[in-house]
Amino acid sequence: MTHEEILKMLAICVERGKVNKNAPFPPDLRDQDGADELAKHAIDQGITADVVLSEGLVTGMTAIGIKFRENRVFVPEVLMAAKAMTAGMAHLRPFFQSGAITHKGALIIGTVMGDLHDIGKNLLGMIVEGAGWEIIDLGIDVSADKFLAGLEEHPGAYIGLSCLLTTTMLNMEKIVIDIKASKPDAKILIGGAPVTDDFRSKIGADWYSPDPQGAVDYLNGQQT
Amino acid sequence: MMMNGKERIRKAFKVQAVDRIPWIPFVGVHGAFLAGYKADEYLQSADFLVNGINKAVEAYQPDGIPVCFDLQIEAEALGCQLAWSPDNPPAVISHPLAGGKSLDILPKFEKSSGRIPLVIEATKRTRAAHPDIAIYGLITGPFTLALHLLGTDIFMMMFENPDYTNELLAYTVEISRQMAGWYLEAGCDVIAVVDPMTSQIGPDHFEQFIHEPISSLYKYIRENGGLSSFFVCGHAQQNIEVMCKTGPDNVSIDENIPLDYVRDICKRYGISFGGNLQLTLVLLMGTAEDCQKHALECIDTAGETGFILAPGCDLPMTTPVENIQAITTLVHDPYQRDVVRALEKTAEEMPILDLAEYGRTEKVIVDIITLDSESCAPCQYMVEAVREVTPHFEGLVEWREHSIKNLDGVTFMSSLFVKNIPTICIDGKISFVSQIPPKQELIRAVQKRINEKLKLKIREKHGKIVLAGTREELKEIYDKAKIAILELGAHIEIETISGEEARRLYGISQTPAWINVRNRIKSEGTEPSIEVMREWIKALL
Repeated sequence: MTHEEILKMLAICVERGKVNKNAPFPPDLRDQDGADELAKHAIDQGITADVVLSEGLVTGMTAIGIKFRENRVFVPEVLMAAKAMTAGMAHLRPFFQSGAITHKGALIIGTVMGDLHDIGKNLLGMIVEGAGWEIIDLGIDVSADKFLAGLEEHPGAYIGLSCLLTTTMLNMEKIVIDIKASKPDAKILIGGAPVTDDFRSKIGADWYSPDPQGAVDYLNGQQT
Repeated sequence: MMMNGKERIRKAFKVQAVDRIPWIPFVGVHGAFLAGYKADEYLQSADFLVNGINKAVEAYQPDGIPVCFDLQIEAEALGCQLAWSPDNPPAVISHPLAGGKSLDILPKFEKSSGRIPLVIEATKRTRAAHPDIAIYGLITGPFTLALHLLGTDIFMMMFENPDYTNELLAYTVEISRQMAGWYLEAGCDVIAVVDPMTSQIGPDHFEQFIHEPISSLYKYIRENGGLSSFFVCGHAQQNIEVMCKTGPDNVSIDENIPLDYVRDICKRYGISFGGNLQLTLVLLMGTAEDCQKHALECIDTAGETGFILAPGCDLPMTTPVENIQAITTLVHDPYQRDVVRALEKTAEEMPILDLAEYGRTEKVIVDIITLDSESCAPCQYMVEAVREVTPHFEGLVEWREHSIKNLDGVTFMSSLFVKNIPTICIDGKISFVSQIPPKQELIRAVQKRINEKLKLKIREKHGKIVLAGTREELKEIYDKAKIAILELGAHIEIETISGEEARRLYGISQTPAWINVRNRIKSEGTEPSIEVMREWIKALL
């Protein structure tokens, strides 16, 4: 396989959720190498880690993120893709640790105080991570103080707030106000089933997207 | 013939003609708010549930009502841990089957498990208290229950272990079937299968895993005399068609799916549908007018047959009561719908009336704000009532009808803060709303206004002359003014003030000065709108 072929296949495995050789899914790729083997193979073949990341893993996750946005795939497919991405990413971890490759930036995510739902938040985390960003996941039921502490630890990070319940939308508003009061320059992204762009503008957050890929587009756009 | 709520719902479910749109406010923890409890205590007491439901029935006059809107009841009974909240239903925080454990570890599911006895008791009491409305028993749909038990692993299990997924769904649908049976026995008319997590999967997975178990559930409900509704919330547009194929009597959706989209598909399958009032931006955060406008949009989109007006999901706990009541009014009163429509048409910038004109006219003006007295019976009776009493006042009273089908009517309605049709305003003041006043009462109200006006005139006549200056400066002016007043036969008072006072009170810089002061009462006992105030201020410029 040429380098190009390895990277192309790696991207396909991520997009289609082919984790490793033993994984039964997808049936048409049974007994073939998955993201796990292909990422390792790519590094062994001398492809640089940043190319493996950007042309293999990120390409695959971007493809699935776009399909998700377009309602061509749904949560199960994204979770499988993320599982495959994580398997491939494991081989890049030493390069992140040595500084050979770096993340595009960091996003601190959490479901807002009073809300214990995390499917949406986790999906966002996976897709944004798959786009080359570092994810700091503060979990569920997260207060403004915890987000601020996260910002202290990761200066310049973006913040992503999630909620599912209508009642916790009000907590989302309070958290945005508290974060902006302490850190006026902090950029806050919001999302979740009841949230809309009108609500975003009402509470003074910086970005809303109905799907994770929209958050990726915003974050990548902030870099240029 | 007038139907009761239960008949109306039954007809709508069968896509048959109804006498008006059926209306179901999905009162869940909002019932706790109505009855003054916290959500967690409400959902753990049959007494509190019944109190909340009774309050909701009284406040909202619904055609149907759910007993308990809590999708964690079955999960809790099967060993999921819950985190309780004072203002929300509880959330599942542990998944006993996490990682794909054997179903054998789950406890036996019985009628005595968890909170099932209390919801069944609440159902029986609600049935007895409200025999004429449709009682909804809400059960957790098999896929959502599977997710509670296994966690999000289920999404990957669909690919990696379809046999286990099938086994789990066969199990959860059996739980749903048992719950449905107990609710039907307790007197429910409708079993709502609430399966919001199906919105997270595509139609292929739906058909592969959900179609068969859930179809058998609807068959069971039908065979046992119940009606069934498939509730889904979230972005489930992709699944509406496959949901219809499972054969429920009704599909109920939230604001994430366009109502016309669901209408078209359901019509094709001969299934009724319901929804999709916006929970947060409109019902929770909007005004009563916003709610009426939005409800009307839903009704107009859905059409009259096979549709049930309802919120997209359970009402947020603190939804303002007046917002939901406004929808009740709209549903019950066809004229109110015409009012909202008429207002919609002429919502652009309207001129603001100067209400002070009422004070200046010699006559008492009775304005009747109507939809149109020719087509709206209550409007016609109200106009007749006024027409009948005016001759008693021998030309002192003038009446006018303002139909809000015209811009003039809408202008009056908004300037006079009229909210209901028909309404009688006497000299700009809302006096009788919706109810036709008895003759004597109307006469009394008009007479009262005539008396008030008379007093006002007398007070206005008591204008005065203010002379400002030193005693020396004013001596001659004062005497001449007195003579002039005497010559005119007027009763006007002269007041003298110093130059200092004149500067402070009237901004006079030089004395002697003559100031005419006249009482111009613009309003009394009411608070005019800012627009009206602006008009009055302009008159002074």
